[in-house]
Amino acid sequence: MRKPFTPRQPRKFIGQYRPRLDGLEKASGRAVYADDFANKTRFPDMLYAKVLHSPHPHARIKSLDVGAAERLPGVAAVLTYRDPEVARLKPTSAGWTDGVDTVSYERMMWKRFRDRRVLGDTAHWVGDDLGVVVAAETEAAAEEALRLVKIEWEVLPFVLDPLEAMKPGAPPVHPEVTPNNVLPADPVGGGDVFLTKGDAERGLAQAEVVAEATSVYHNATQCSLDNWCCLVTWDDDKLTCWSNSYEADMSRMHISQMLDLPLHKVRVVSPFVGGQFGRGDTGEQPFFLFTALLAKRTGRPVKFKHTRRESFHDSRQPAIYHGKAGATKDGTITTLHFKSVGNAGAYADHTMFALKFAPAEVAEVAFAHIPNLKMESYGVYTNVLPACMMRGVGNSQLNFILGHLMDALAEKLGMDPLDLVAKNFGHAWAQPPDKSLAAVLSAGAERIGWAAKRHAPGRGPAREGVIKSGVGFSFHPGWHAEWQEARRGRIQVGLRLNCDGTVMLEAPTVEVGTGSNTCNVLGCAEALGFLGVTPADISFSNTVDTDTGLKDTVQTDSAVSFLQSEALVVAARELKAKVLEAAAGKLGARPEDLDVADGWVFPKSAPKDRRSLPDVLWQGDLVPIAVTVSRPPSSEKTGVPFQANFAEVEVDTSTGQARIVKLVVVNDCGTVMYPSGAEGQQIGGQCMSVGESLTEEIIYDPATGIPLNFNWIDYQIPTMADIPDIEPVLLEVWRGAGEYGACGIGEGVLTCTPAAVLNAIYNAIGARVDVMPFKPEKILAALGMADPGRPGTPGGRP
Amino acid sequence: MAKTRKTSRKNERQEAEPAKVRIRVNGAWRELAVGREVEPSETLSHLLRERFGLTGLKLSCDEGACGACTVILDGKAVLSCMTLAVEADGRSVLTIEGLPKDDPVIQAFAHQCEPGYGTALQCGYCTPGFVMASRALLDENPSPAPEEIKEGLAGNICRCGCYSGIARAVWHASRKTVGKGGAP
Repeated sequence: MRKPFTPRQPRKFIGQYRPRLDGLEKASGRAVYADDFANKTRFPDMLYAKVLHSPHPHARIKSLDVGAAERLPGVAAVLTYRDPEVARLKPTSAGWTDGVDTVSYERMMWKRFRDRRVLGDTAHWVGDDLGVVVAAETEAAAEEALRLVKIEWEVLPFVLDPLEAMKPGAPPVHPEVTPNNVLPADPVGGGDVFLTKGDAERGLAQAEVVAEATSVYHNATQCSLDNWCCLVTWDDDKLTCWSNSYEADMSRMHISQMLDLPLHKVRVVSPFVGGQFGRGDTGEQPFFLFTALLAKRTGRPVKFKHTRRESFHDSRQPAIYHGKAGATKDGTITTLHFKSVGNAGAYADHTMFALKFAPAEVAEVAFAHIPNLKMESYGVYTNVLPACMMRGVGNSQLNFILGHLMDALAEKLGMDPLDLVAKNFGHAWAQPPDKSLAAVLSAGAERIGWAAKRHAPGRGPAREGVIKSGVGFSFHPGWHAEWQEARRGRIQVGLRLNCDGTVMLEAPTVEVGTGSNTCNVLGCAEALGFLGVTPADISFSNTVDTDTGLKDTVQTDSAVSFLQSEALVVAARELKAKVLEAAAGKLGARPEDLDVADGWVFPKSAPKDRRSLPDVLWQGDLVPIAVTVSRPPSSEKTGVPFQANFAEVEVDTSTGQARIVKLVVVNDCGTVMYPSGAEGQQIGGQCMSVGESLTEEIIYDPATGIPLNFNWIDYQIPTMADIPDIEPVLLEVWRGAGEYGACGIGEGVLTCTPAAVLNAIYNAIGARVDVMPFKPEKILAALGMADPGRPGTPGGRP
Repeated sequence: MAKTRKTSRKNERQEAEPAKVRIRVNGAWRELAVGREVEPSETLSHLLRERFGLTGLKLSCDEGACGACTVILDGKAVLSCMTLAVEADGRSVLTIEGLPKDDPVIQAFAHQCEPGYGTALQCGYCTPGFVMASRALLDENPSPAPEEIKEGLAGNICRCGCYSGIARAVWHASRKTVGKGGAP
C-alpha cells in the first residue's frame, strides 16, 4: 500500500485522485488520432506521400531523373527541389520557437541558424529527407516510385564526432552558418562563455577543496508511438491540415508564412496525439509544406506518415560536460565552472537552448548563492541526426554533471552529499537552506532508506560474492513556475453557460497524454463552484481546431495543467458578474444586491429566498452567457520548487550488469492539480529514464555514418518486465503566484534520474562510469576488467 | 470458436474466379476476394484499419516490436502487423471495437487512479494493444500473479511509462472477473 498525497489546502476537485476524463474513450479504442482520421474509409480519394531519404551522411544531388517514377501506374505527382513552388520556399530553421510562444518567421528564436531547406538538394545525415517527394494511390506505389528515381550524387566528406568536427580542416557541415562547425554566438543563447559571475578562476585557485568531473550524456530519442502524420487538403484557396502536431496555432503560422497564405485560409486541426516528449520541439516540420504542395498539385487529400524508422529524426542533445567545484572545508561552495561540447547533429534546431539557455535558467534559480560561476558551451554541427529536446531541454545533461560533481565533492569533503546540497543551493528569493529543497531531499532519503543503505563507495556487502548494491541521488530546480512561463504571452480560455446550467469550456490545448485536459475540466469545475457544477456538467473538446477555437496553449513546458486553470479563475469571476447581471434583469433586482452560490441565486439580504440558476436562466431569449479571457501568466518572481530522485542499484561485478532496484521520485509542485496524473508523470518519467540510463542509445557505423538501430528491437525501450519498484512522492512546500501557485513537473521528473543512478553505481562499486548509458562493458571497464578500446577484452573491440 | 471453418480454398483456385477468404471479424463473417478486396501480401492490421476502418488497433512500429496492433485471433493475442490477412481465413478476429464497453479490462484501464501507481494510460496510443493483450491474458489465466502480469504484457511498449498503473488495472480486472465468474 502506497502513502497517498494529501493536499495542503483541500479543494473539491483540484488535488483529488480520480480517473482521467478521457480514460474510457482511450481504453475502449474510440479516441481518434491523426492516423485514424487520415484513413481511406474516410477519404477514399486520399493519396499517400513518401519522401526521399539520403543514403549518405553528406551529399548533394547532382542530377535527378524522375521519368520512370512519373510513369509508374498509381503515381499521381512527383515533386522535386527543382519545381518552382519548392525552390521559392524560404530557408528555415526547426527553431522557430521552443513551443512556448507563437512567433512569425522574422521573429523566430534561432534565426541566425536558418540551416534547413524544405526538400533541398543537400543531405546532412543518413536519413535526411530531401530532393523528391511522391504522391501515389498506395504507400507501396509511392515507395516503388522513389526507388525508380535515378540520382547522381556528389558525395561530400563527413564528420560524426563533435570533437573531430571542431578541429581545423574538418569538413564544414553548414558553411552558410559557420566555417568551423561551431555555432556562433546568438542573441538568445549568448557567446561561448554565456554566463559569468564573480571570478571562477580565482575562486578555484583559492578553494580549500576542489572536485572535478566529466560526464557524457548521449543521444536517446523520444519514441512517441504516434509517428508524425498529417493529412492536407487544399481546395480552392483554403488549406486544411489535420496532424498530430502538439501546437495548432504555431503550425498555422508556419504554414501561412512559408506558403504565403493568409492566416484565415489555413486551418490546422489536432485531435488526440499519441505522445510528444519533445519531438514536436524540433518544430516547424518541412513535411507539412511538401504534403501541402502535393495536395495543391493533385487537388486531392494527401497523407504523409512517418514509418517507425523515419521517426528516428531527432534525439536528446548529447553533451560532453566538464565540471569543477571549489569549496571551503566546511562545505561552502564558492565556485562552479561548467564547460560543455554538444553534438548538434545535422541542424542547429534548439541546440543552443539545451546548451546555454536552459543551463542559464538553472543558474538563476539554483546557483544564486554561489559567488563564482563560469559557464561555457560549444554547439557543433556534425553529420548525424539533429538533436535538441526530449522531455526537457538541457536540464538532464546539466544535472548529470551537477549530480556527479556534488557526489564527488562531498566525498572529498567527507560530507553526506545531502547536507552539502541543502547547504548551498537555492534561488535568490530565499536564503538557504531552501525549504523546498530540504523537503524533497528528506522525503527521498526516507523512502529510499538512505541512512541504512548508503555506505562508503564500494564498501557495501556483496550478495553471492559478486552483486554489490548502492544508493545515490540528484536534485534539480523546477523550471515551469508561472513566472517562467510569462514569455508565452496571453493564455486564452472561454466559458459559455447554457440556460440549463451546463457549461461549454473552451481551453484549447492538444491532448498529448499529459492529462492537462482533465486538469482543465477539474479547474473549470473548481472555479465555477458558484454554479454547483461537476466535471460531468462541463463539455470539453479534445480536438483543437484553429478555425473554431481560441489560440491553443501549447502543450510544452509541462505547464498547461495549471496555466489554463489560473486563467479560468479569472474567467469564472467575469462569468459570475454576468450571471448576476442576467439574473438581476430577469428578477427585477440590482446585480449588486444578488449573489449566486452552489447553483442558487438569492438576494444578499435574504439568502433563503433563493431560486435555482436554471430556473432563472430559462427565461427570456435563452442566449448562453459567454466570457472569453486572455490573461498573461503572472510574472511575479516567486522562485521555484525543487525535485529530487533517489536510486538503489545492484551491480553484478562479474558481468558488469547494473540493475535498478528502486527509484524514488520526489516533486514539490506548489499545488498538485491532479495527483493521479502527476503520479503517472512521475512514474512514466522513471520508465523512460530506466531505458535512457541503461539501454537506449542510437549507434552509428563510424565508417559510413549509417545509423544501425533505427528500430525497437535494437533500440531497446523498457517494457513492464524491465521496470523496478518506483515510488512517487508529491509535496506542496513552495508556492507560486496565483490561485494555485503550481509548477509543472512533467519534464523534470526524469531530469535527475541518470545522475542518481550514476551515483548509486559509484556507491555500489567504488568506480565511476561517466558515459551514458551504463552498459555492462563500461562498468567492467570502470572496474578495470575490460578496456573498451582494447581488442580481445570483454566489451573491447573484436 | 470458428466452427463453420471452411476448407481452405487456396487449393481449389479456379482460373476465372479469384480465391476468397472468409474472416469472422467481431462476430460477423466477411468474405473477401483475394487480389481485389485483400492482397495476398496484405497484413491483417492493414485490412482491419484501412479496409474495414477498425482504427482502434494502432500501427506504430509495423514490425512486431511494440504490441500496439495487438488483436485476438481465435482466442490468442497476436500482432496484427505480423499476421497476413489471408492467414486469418476461417478464423475469428476480435478487435477492441468488438469488446463491450463494460468489459472489466476496459473499465479497469479507464478508471485506474489508485494512489501510488498513476493512471493506466496517458496518451492512450498503446492502450488498445495493452487492453487486448490483457484480455487474452485473463482469458487464459483469470487470476495471474503480479510476475505473470509482467511477463504476459512484456511484449507491449508504453512510452508514457504507465506500467505500474497498467499492472494494477489488470489486477483489478482480474479480481472483478474472478469474483463474477466464481472462479478461484
